[in-house]
Amino acid sequence: MLKLLFPALSRFRMAVQLVMLFVTVYGSVIVGTYMADKISNNLPALSCAYDQMNGGYCVLIPTQHILHHRIGEAVVRAQQLTFGMVLPLLMSFVSFFAFFFVLGKMFCGWVCPLGTLQELVGKLGRRLGFGLRRIEKGDLGEVKRVRPVKWLLLLGLVFVLPLATGLGVTPHSLGNPYCDICPSRVATTLLTGNTEQLALRVNDNVSLVLGAVANLLIGFMLVGALAIRQPFCRICPLLAFNAVFQRLSPMRLQKKMHDNCGKCGICSEACPMDIPEIAREEGRKAYHEDCTLCGRCAEYCPQDGTIQIKWGPFALFSSRRDYYKNKVKGELPDGTVKPVKFVRNAARPAADPADA
Amino acid sequence: MKRILATLGLAAATGAAAQHEHHTVAPAATAPAARAWTQQPLLLPGKLVRGERASALLRPQGLAAAQVTVYAPEGPAARLKVDYPVGADGARIEAATPKTGNYHWVVAREESGAAVRVASTAWYFGNPGDSPKELLRTPKHELEIVPEPLPREHGSYRESEKWRFLVRFDGRPQPDQPVTLETAFGSRSTALTDAAGIATVVFPRDFRPAEKKAEGGHEGHGPRRVPFVLTTVKESGGRKYLTSFNLTYGQDGDRGRSLGWGAAFGLAGMLAAAPLLRRRDKRDNNHA
Repeated sequence: MLKLLFPALSRFRMAVQLVMLFVTVYGSVIVGTYMADKISNNLPALSCAYDQMNGGYCVLIPTQHILHHRIGEAVVRAQQLTFGMVLPLLMSFVSFFAFFFVLGKMFCGWVCPLGTLQELVGKLGRRLGFGLRRIEKGDLGEVKRVRPVKWLLLLGLVFVLPLATGLGVTPHSLGNPYCDICPSRVATTLLTGNTEQLALRVNDNVSLVLGAVANLLIGFMLVGALAIRQPFCRICPLLAFNAVFQRLSPMRLQKKMHDNCGKCGICSEACPMDIPEIAREEGRKAYHEDCTLCGRCAEYCPQDGTIQIKWGPFALFSSRRDYYKNKVKGELPDGTVKPVKFVRNAARPAADPADA
Repeated sequence: MKRILATLGLAAATGAAAQHEHHTVAPAATAPAARAWTQQPLLLPGKLVRGERASALLRPQGLAAAQVTVYAPEGPAARLKVDYPVGADGARIEAATPKTGNYHWVVAREESGAAVRVASTAWYFGNPGDSPKELLRTPKHELEIVPEPLPREHGSYRESEKWRFLVRFDGRPQPDQPVTLETAFGSRSTALTDAAGIATVVFPRDFRPAEKKAEGGHEGHGPRRVPFVLTTVKESGGRKYLTSFNLTYGQDGDRGRSLGWGAAFGLAGMLAAAPLLRRRDKRDNNHA
């Protein structure tokens, strides 16, 4: 039955993504107002606190707030940086890790509502026949140039600026700067019919600039995702945050080297994050910091057992030649499917000259 | 399902603390008595100590109460209901335990002859704690105004919004009961409860430009908030009960914001991405 409903891993993943999109945007409708506050305060996916209908929050919020309100203010009061102050931050990370231990970076590829939105837009782009643009040499430039951005955003906007605000160095409007530029804040609230987060605060220059950046990002993301797969994921600080812990979760990507590795490159082409290492590396290097554990590389690897998604010793999915053959019949590795063609009705007879 | 949610909740709660920092629904700073905006009984906060998370100062106003009672959402049995004496500055209340957070229900009571006056409010301690669902469900005094629900974190009562409040007497919902809303900006309206005892209250769009803190506005960097009070009166058994519930409400989210500029920057982002769509992929994708 399950196999009938989900003949491919990607279809199963899309079903999970759509369910999680609903939960992370409209979750309180199901679990109730108060429970929604509690079930997933540290769900490590971009489920936005500004959305009052959702069922989950994002670990980046407490991180910014603890640095802003607790650690920074505690230092200002010239108290010792005791365990009492550091502990909340640690506890926040621990509860984040409780979730993360189970699913690892699958949160990015399977749960994150913003990731799902981008993927849906990307599918629309493929359907409409927009050419796929890749972040690789010869197209938009090497992917390694983009990779540091997520780390800089994590360091600067999630750690440094909130702490500096708590210390009184920077203005209060820089207390949660990442949330202020986060396109998920705008996207998920718009999905609930709320335009408040799209509207810019015009009476505070810092907020105005941060909000403008967020809106530029969401605009760029919505159109860019028609051509580039997962454009925002590549610079998302949550991906960097998850990457810090990715070796600590039993959920992982495992790749063995095969004679064809580095030659066919299909796995890399299938990767929505344009990770070239998946094709030419093995082991830890193949499970790259940018990996979202979406599993497309394993789906499109034509070699039996070369790429696996594993949880501890258990292989949840292994690449298989017969699976690959079936898969490419419906969708090519780069996501291309039979495009929708807008053509004139061929059955309509040519205009009768007598009508003229 | 419940067990899964409870487990997730437990895990999440440990880290929830940090999300309750800049909030939200803590009652606003006191309005000077000389400019009292209401004659109804209130519980108003004293000066907040920066960084203080497990205690607060609440001062009864408009009623003579020797103590305030704090009901906690969780904690040791002896801490679920605690009385605190009212001193010169008010009553210093505490969370059930230093690490217990979320909403606590606070009540001050005055009885004189046949009159019973009760002021109630909800205080949010910025630490993990059980949701106030059970706390609100449990009757705590005769005539009650119970928020259905209390605002979520990052949320608050706001101008132009409709919120529901249950009125019950001895634990039973009271239909056709008038509930009066007064705000620090001078608005006043009355709503009647429906058959289920629910009064739907519309918060007036009455914020004036910020002038001074005298209106009892929220001190700090968060959104501006001012107090409101809901009041209801009922006579029963020869006694007259008057109960109030006060908290704060905030500005309409659209104030100070420009949807036009927001949309303009969104469109600018779209235009910036448009060149990406121009080139069609000509590569041969035949992998089958």
